[in-house]
Amino acid sequence: MADIGKVRIRVPSTIKPGDVVRVRTLVIHPMERIERDAQGKIVQKKYRYIDRVVATYLGKTVAAFDTTQSVAENPSFAFTFRATDPGVLKVVFHDTHGSTWEGTADIRFS
Amino acid sequence: MRAWPVAALLGLAAGCAGGGLPQATQPPPAWTSRAVPEARGDFRVRADGKREAIRYKGWTGRDFGAFRTYAYDDARPEVPVTRAAMPAGVAGDPKKGRALFLSRAKGPCSGCHLIPGDDVWPAGSVGPDLSTLGDRRLPDAYLYQQIFDPRVVLPNTAMPPWGAAKIFTPEEIVHLVAFLQTLRGPAPPEKDPERNPFTRPKPPGFGDNLDPTNNPGVLVAEEAEALWSARGPAGRSCADCHEGGPARSMRGVATRYPKHVAAYRRMMSVEDFLAAHGPETTGRPLPSESAENLAMTVLVKMASNGLPVAVDLTSPPARAALARGKASFHRRVGERNHACADCHTPDKGAGKFLGGRLLGDVTDGLTRHFPTWRTSQGALWDMRKRFQWCMTPLGANMLAADAVEYAELELYLTSFDNGKPLSVPGIRH
Repeated sequence: MADIGKVRIRVPSTIKPGDVVRVRTLVIHPMERIERDAQGKIVQKKYRYIDRVVATYLGKTVAAFDTTQSVAENPSFAFTFRATDPGVLKVVFHDTHGSTWEGTADIRFS
Repeated sequence: MRAWPVAALLGLAAGCAGGGLPQATQPPPAWTSRAVPEARGDFRVRADGKREAIRYKGWTGRDFGAFRTYAYDDARPEVPVTRAAMPAGVAGDPKKGRALFLSRAKGPCSGCHLIPGDDVWPAGSVGPDLSTLGDRRLPDAYLYQQIFDPRVVLPNTAMPPWGAAKIFTPEEIVHLVAFLQTLRGPAPPEKDPERNPFTRPKPPGFGDNLDPTNNPGVLVAEEAEALWSARGPAGRSCADCHEGGPARSMRGVATRYPKHVAAYRRMMSVEDFLAAHGPETTGRPLPSESAENLAMTVLVKMASNGLPVAVDLTSPPARAALARGKASFHRRVGERNHACADCHTPDKGAGKFLGGRLLGDVTDGLTRHFPTWRTSQGALWDMRKRFQWCMTPLGANMLAADAVEYAELELYLTSFDNGKPLSVPGIRH
């Protein structure tokens, strides 16, 4: 897991103004699961997992996710938004250890 | 001394004109497996004296040692063709017969044959639809023989000899016959069109296999990039000899595999070659079916994505290996006495449903997306693990992942992919 926090964003190759665009994002992250000791007791520690994902477009939040450990390692999030103007789509991932990673995608019309 | 060049010339001529046939009968030299322990096809003896196969976690440990395998040194014949008469004094119970027909611990017969009933799910279409078999008024003795060993009537059938291989007891077959005789038309109307494999739509696939947000397998290759430039115990890394990074130095390499590697005197896939070549150069072990071997294989193969497969099929060792691989493809093995050809050639099972699974057609080329992400397993599998996985339904003990037998079978399968573009990693069920 050398490149934790590497973000990938996939948008359609052709977008027309006013289209509802489906975006897929993926971030490299371990999404630590709850561990149990030999007695079956939960190991108390600050587990590292992504608990919030926010997508903004033209300065406005277009999607936000509150997530838990039940989401798999290297999680993938998909959402839709309406592309009205050319601009930058930014997706920010926050985890419980306070790290944030972000990725951007240019929304251009063709 | 004078006879020397003549003999050499004769040998050369035979090699050119003989179509590789003389070599085909000579198996390649023995190979010591370089696979991880669970992929070697080894056995252990349990405390109670039972022999148990060492396989991957979660796979059956059952020993199918009574039945022949793909090993070239396994000279045993297939399950002998057996004529059988119906046992007297056993009354067939259609209810028991239906339960046996659907029992996953046995066939299940419904994997290939459709019968009425909403609980028949998912039925397959490899064999004939039996929904109204009873209307044909076939004699009980004939149906009994068909189940016990259908090769007596149909020598080329894909159906296993259920009685001759002792999967069903004679009594159980009597119950099955009694059940089949109750199947009278008209078949009830279908509530769900997907229940009937003859009308079920074909699965649409999983989308773009090279998109990392779609195929987790792509991420595996990225992990291998660190491995590419990491020095092994011998002080060298892949990058020290193969300059320009994996994408440039390995471009086109994977299109030529499996190929005959003279240094190791055998047919080798990329995985096989890495398992031998990696430790010899960098000192880092890359055993077959290890995560490192798989990741490196994906990295090497991705460097050839989009390029047409171009395996050698004409050199004498390649022709000999191809002939042996083809023979393996048609060789009947295991408890089920199946050949690969039973499920994967268009005149038999290919394009039909085995249970809910659509069977691939060997002539389409089944190899150029391997290693492939298996959505049903949540893991990346190379072709060898896929072969080994096939061994359980065949009821045959698996060979080592890097066995020569598998490499030559892989060459035969890859021969149908020649000229078609590589696209690794794939994504499949």
